[in-house]
Amino acid sequence: MQLINDDIFIIIPAYNEKLVIREVVLSLHAQDYKNIILIDDGSDQNIFEEIQDLHVHYLKHYINLGQGAALQTGFCYALKQGTNICVTFDADGQHSAEDIGRLITPIRENKADIVLGSRFLLKKESNVPIGRKLILKLARFVNFCFSGLLLTDAHNGLKALSKNVLEKIFLEENRMSHASEILMEVSKHKFRFLEIPVNIHYSAYTIQKGQKNFDSLKILYDLILFKLFK
Amino acid sequence: MKGIQFILMTGVAFISLYFFIQLKKRILDFLLLGIMIICAIVFILWPDLTNIIAHKLGVGRGVDLLFYIAILIFWFVVLKLYARIRKLEKEFTHFIRQDALSKAIGSANNEQDGKQS
Repeated sequence: MQLINDDIFIIIPAYNEKLVIREVVLSLHAQDYKNIILIDDGSDQNIFEEIQDLHVHYLKHYINLGQGAALQTGFCYALKQGTNICVTFDADGQHSAEDIGRLITPIRENKADIVLGSRFLLKKESNVPIGRKLILKLARFVNFCFSGLLLTDAHNGLKALSKNVLEKIFLEENRMSHASEILMEVSKHKFRFLEIPVNIHYSAYTIQKGQKNFDSLKILYDLILFKLFK
Repeated sequence: MKGIQFILMTGVAFISLYFFIQLKKRILDFLLLGIMIICAIVFILWPDLTNIIAHKLGVGRGVDLLFYIAILIFWFVVLKLYARIRKLEKEFTHFIRQDALSKAIGSANNEQDGKQS
């Protein structure tokens, strides 16, 4: 019997996430997501050791290229495997596997081509650190300047993309500015998009592993150069 | 010829030789470099010319004019280098991606799962 989630591929770009990766994969298995693509983005740690007994498609970049490049590798692989919907999921355990169902429903019902998670749409907002909150609010307007789309959450790693979107976009931004690049592609191809509230779990580990506030300047710099040399 | 003129001319000669060897197939770069070398030689031999041109362009001294032009050239070179780095990055990303896709570990685990279920 075909499982209901058989055509859904969860893409996890990971860099040195040995401590939590097994737990993240198991949380996805618990929600019946069997097609998990783990892109080891040139980690120094042996991540494969942690997941080799689990049902995971494992790909390794031999050099650390960045999250954008890892996601695009995942998209290419998922398309080869015959995916209909891809979900991007962070490896540090800040996302909840329970949210994926709400993300893929609008695509299944043909109401959207791409669904973006938003931590700011929750009635009870996640415990977003104040510095991060300010940067994300500012980033909304930066994204608006580049893509013409004003979203509630500028850089949320939890997204669901339909096959139609995956076939038309190709991420060229290797590092973190891929999130803005996706929005530019949404605008360019006039994809139907939706924002859905999702939980972001901030722990000492996710804050330490996640982006620093200073990284937002690097993202802005990359975006400007991306526009210049496109 | 003064000592400084000799030193600068020798420097220009060596740099020109190196670049001409490197760029022999790129006509546009070749022309651009040729113009820059001629300007360098002219300004080294007749430094007062820079003052005359500077005054005509509303700049106080010839040295200042050269400084402003050097900044523009520096920007141009940085952008050109950045464009080249991006191109290289794109190329090696492609190779690393192809390598990752060709060595993907997935089917073995699928089979294992199939046996377990």
